[in-house]
Amino acid sequence: MNIRNVHIEDTFAEAFTMRVARLIITGRNVRWAREAALKLTGFATSVIGCKCEAAIERELPAGETPDGRPGFSILFMTMSKDDLPKRLIERVGQTVLTCPTTACFDGMPDAPDRVGVGSALRFFGDGFQASKMIGGQRFWRIPVMEGEFLVQEKFGMIKGIGGGNFLMLARSADAALEAAEAAAEAMSGRAGVILPFPGGVVRSGSKVGSRRIKSMIASTNDAFCPTLRGITETQLPEGVNSVLEIVINGTDAEAISAAMRAGIDAACRDGVVAITAGNYGGKLGPHHFHLRKIMAATA
Amino acid sequence: MTGIVARLRRKLDARTDLGAVLPTGWPALTAAELMRRPVLTEGGEPATVGDLFDVTGAPSGTITFQGNLGRADRLAAGLAEGQVVVEGSVGDEAGLGMSGGVLDVNGDAGARTGGAAGEARRGMTGGEIVVRGNTGGEPGLRMRRGLLVVTGNVAGQAGAGMIAGTVLVFGDAGPSPGRWSKRGSIVALGKVAIPPTYRYACTYQPDHLRLTLLRLRARYGLGVDERFVAGFYRRYSGDLAELGKGEILAWTAE
Repeated sequence: MNIRNVHIEDTFAEAFTMRVARLIITGRNVRWAREAALKLTGFATSVIGCKCEAAIERELPAGETPDGRPGFSILFMTMSKDDLPKRLIERVGQTVLTCPTTACFDGMPDAPDRVGVGSALRFFGDGFQASKMIGGQRFWRIPVMEGEFLVQEKFGMIKGIGGGNFLMLARSADAALEAAEAAAEAMSGRAGVILPFPGGVVRSGSKVGSRRIKSMIASTNDAFCPTLRGITETQLPEGVNSVLEIVINGTDAEAISAAMRAGIDAACRDGVVAITAGNYGGKLGPHHFHLRKIMAATA
Repeated sequence: MTGIVARLRRKLDARTDLGAVLPTGWPALTAAELMRRPVLTEGGEPATVGDLFDVTGAPSGTITFQGNLGRADRLAAGLAEGQVVVEGSVGDEAGLGMSGGVLDVNGDAGARTGGAAGEARRGMTGGEIVVRGNTGGEPGLRMRRGLLVVTGNVAGQAGAGMIAGTVLVFGDAGPSPGRWSKRGSIVALGKVAIPPTYRYACTYQPDHLRLTLLRLRARYGLGVDERFVAGFYRRYSGDLAELGKGEILAWTAE
């Protein structure tokens, strides 16, 4: 398969089941809502080193948030359901509770699985906290120096998917970056999808384990490192000098497939030789995103 | 109009107790079954709903009462689920001790709306009451949880002995609001006399109140002015003669 002279490899991205919560952070204005959202989702690129993966899903206008103020929705993901409340309590407590004017709401009110967040953070109120039931949901009012921090008691948790991906194999670093930027732009702001890496882009794709250190769970994906061509078992076609990757997490396979379709289509441009994907032979992750099937609608 | 409709056949001559009309599980009852529910009339013979109302329609979780129920007391007492709409006024103790559901009164309500019966320790423990008019005294008496909204004025003693929950008054909150309140919130969008046992804390924008007011707009179509949603409130802590964890939030234009 070729799209605008870019070869689409006959392969698939292998992804994993993760647990997902959606947070809605609002603030007095977009600036402060964004400040909290960025802090909350900072250092949350990969569970390998960050214990969670998170990013802004989309910006919400005032009319779409529970309290009628501008805000951001965030998808927050962990590998296990026990980890999700732990990480949420840590991060909401340190980055939203602390941020002027913000409030934090559950963005998955219909999810039957609920994890306590406000129910733990309330203890910061040292006995002065108060709860309110509003529309059948409990909220905690935690007194802070600014006034009050409002946080929902429980957040919905669903099963989602992490690790959807594709790699752009390009003739130059500039071409790879342009393709990655275009792909990330096309995939951003979609409901149910996040790109947890910086700007949505990864330059340091990894393979499972290490050639030398047994305790390492991941190390550089040498088969795709252009500087190692000739000294490793490369998978780079002739003429490829730079590779960038997009990693996609989402609430469901349909949302991820749709985002990959838009991203790959945007990445098929001059200077890109091929699009491929990372997998582990299909043995580790239960979710497989076949590039050619996904692109069949637009090829 | 969907659901069950109960139309008052003739003007009530005596005070009538409708407290047993809507038992737990009432949303599943048919019109015929509801007509057999007992009512008590002051000094009168035992009666049923069917003696006073024409009841029609099919179960849907909503019942609408039509006619002047100003002498009908304890409507929706103990309500646990479903929606009760009153097209007109109701008597005393509407929503007495209710634990869930919605009571939506398109008129005035009498005394102790959403409150507690005589010696009962708790008034309403859940659900929402919206009175699109005025109420008598002691609305939300000893309420434990839930929301009581009065779009008009309160005769006095709003939220007396509240344990928790919210009484929100658009008009004049009347004398002595929140007396003996432990953790309850009295929200006054209009005139309010702060009791001496409450102490001023600060003037701020409570996020939870914004949430509540937006819900009143969306769920009940109440015309909540933006100045209340985005406005500032003077917070008074009290009742300091009790636990002192309650509050009066008084809207201020300043």
